[in-house]
Amino acid sequence: MTQDSPPIRRRPRPAPGGLRDMWDIACGVQTIWWREVKRSLTDRGQLIGGVSRPLLWVLILGVGLNPFFRGEVMGDVRFIVPYTYLQYIFPGVIVLNILYTSIQSAVSLIWDREFGFLREVLVSPLPRNFILLGKVLGGATTAVVHGLLVLAVARFANIQMGLADVGMAMALMFLLAFGMTSLGIVIANHVKGFEGFGVFSNALVLPLYFTSSSVFPLDPALTRAQTLVTYPRWLVALVEANPVTYAVDTMRGILIGFNQFPMALGWQITGAMAAGLFVFAMIEFRRL
Amino acid sequence: MSQTNTATDAAPLPAIAVEGLSQRYGRTLALDNISLTVPTGSLFALIGPNGAGKSTLIDILCTIRAPLSGRALVAGLDVSRDPRGVRRRIGVIFQNSTLDTRLSVFDNLQFHARVHAMDRAERHERIDYMLDLVQLTEWRRSPVRALSAGMKRRLEIARGLLHDPEILFMDEPTVGLDPQSRANIWQYLAELRQRTGLTIVVTTHYIDEVGGADQVCVIDRGKILVHGTPAALKAAHGTTLLRLQPEGEDGRAAILSAHPDAIDTPDGTMLVRFASLPEAEGALAALRGRIGLATLEPPSLESVFLNLTGRALREEAPAPGRGKAQAGRGRK
Repeated sequence: MTQDSPPIRRRPRPAPGGLRDMWDIACGVQTIWWREVKRSLTDRGQLIGGVSRPLLWVLILGVGLNPFFRGEVMGDVRFIVPYTYLQYIFPGVIVLNILYTSIQSAVSLIWDREFGFLREVLVSPLPRNFILLGKVLGGATTAVVHGLLVLAVARFANIQMGLADVGMAMALMFLLAFGMTSLGIVIANHVKGFEGFGVFSNALVLPLYFTSSSVFPLDPALTRAQTLVTYPRWLVALVEANPVTYAVDTMRGILIGFNQFPMALGWQITGAMAAGLFVFAMIEFRRL
Repeated sequence: MSQTNTATDAAPLPAIAVEGLSQRYGRTLALDNISLTVPTGSLFALIGPNGAGKSTLIDILCTIRAPLSGRALVAGLDVSRDPRGVRRRIGVIFQNSTLDTRLSVFDNLQFHARVHAMDRAERHERIDYMLDLVQLTEWRRSPVRALSAGMKRRLEIARGLLHDPEILFMDEPTVGLDPQSRANIWQYLAELRQRTGLTIVVTTHYIDEVGGADQVCVIDRGKILVHGTPAALKAAHGTTLLRLQPEGEDGRAAILSAHPDAIDTPDGTMLVRFASLPEAEGALAALRGRIGLATLEPPSLESVFLNLTGRALREEAPAPGRGKAQAGRGRK
């Protein structure tokens, strides 16, 4: 122990709701955010997944199915999508990476809960909702980075974008990631250990992805009646009910200019999902 | 030094005031109408077996859990109405480690300082000071997982005190530590309290550790059994304990026939209570030949607990610390 007296002085306590208090909260949120980002971006396993997953989808599935992506039946062209399959699937793969990474990032909540760190955060002066906000922002940031990893190779899928498109794509990625990380938090709150979470998230991510019209289009040239003839009714219903469909569709609109639904619909649904799921997570987080 | 928040000289505000606090989990009442006050600047010990409600009480006082009913004021603030105000004024060291083992020693402290809104200069000054206090300065850059259990505990103490709290809560701070580390930690805390006027609330089931507390509160099954200074409690409820190691079943039967109120403990010894030392010595002489090892224990807080509950406190001690606790207990 040192012999000289410690610098003890009572720290001033800012008035709640004041400007200083809000600044303190913002700094706290930033601290939690940065811990999440630093941790997941230095996690080699997550990073390898973030790179290998899209590579598989784009290289194997995208390149492999490319020649079959023309609606010819016995020489009759029934509909034409003016894009290669690689171009078509690319925005979907970005969304897939976002889905995986953001839901996975909620594992950090389980980690903090199991190893006690969560309590350290809960007894800090930060309000609970802002602790949650820091965590969700952290997960969303990581997911956007993983989305950008895919976007970085857009050139090889023959996708041309301007700077504005990249900005729009990032904004959409962020909204989607924000909602999905919140969803991950809700799930993490209900599972006991790490294993349970893995099963849960896979059982959620893959169906969401496959029914989001990301790997096959609902024919845009057909009327609704014709669509229902071409595809089984239940599949159309699933695709249309899946909110991720609209995020994928808008992403496709931004990147290759191809839409099956109105562009604005994707923004609205993804935004509503982000807000709604965050509120849901807030309610869940109170019960911790 | 810490008395800046006292309202009037006549009646200094207690650090903690609890009134009629209850909490339940499912059907069990974890806390049953608890009321107590902790004077500012005191070392207050909550003792009781595991599951007595100590941790629940600490959780409520730290605003992690809401009380079912009743009122709790910490540093003069209501835990239900102003939880953030309370959290600014307290430091907490939980029973299980809450360090991020993947971060370095410094980064753990840095995180804490930042969420407590300490500015940069203050942060660095305090981190340096606290690291020196707990003798971890050389380990500043090491990842926490490289530290020993005792060093981790010290780091948690440093972190709990980093933001200069008025009240420090410690839930079983010495569980799982070797006797030497345990003694060191108590010494740190005593020095710290002298120097800063900090109020310390500590829970433990190592009853021999709290002899130096200003006040001891014995809690069992959600209720306060007694509350007072260690000396007063020993005088009122303490008895001389004779700890006997019976020689086989015969020995056990002999002890039981002479003393039907003898209590079995999990380590195989038996405890008999006596009002005075000579009485105990007489009984010991009568049992000569039937017992292996005998230990006479003067009135202790442990005998207080035994008399109040009819159970030995260590019966329900958690497994990890127990062997060490007994190894370190050389009482004759």
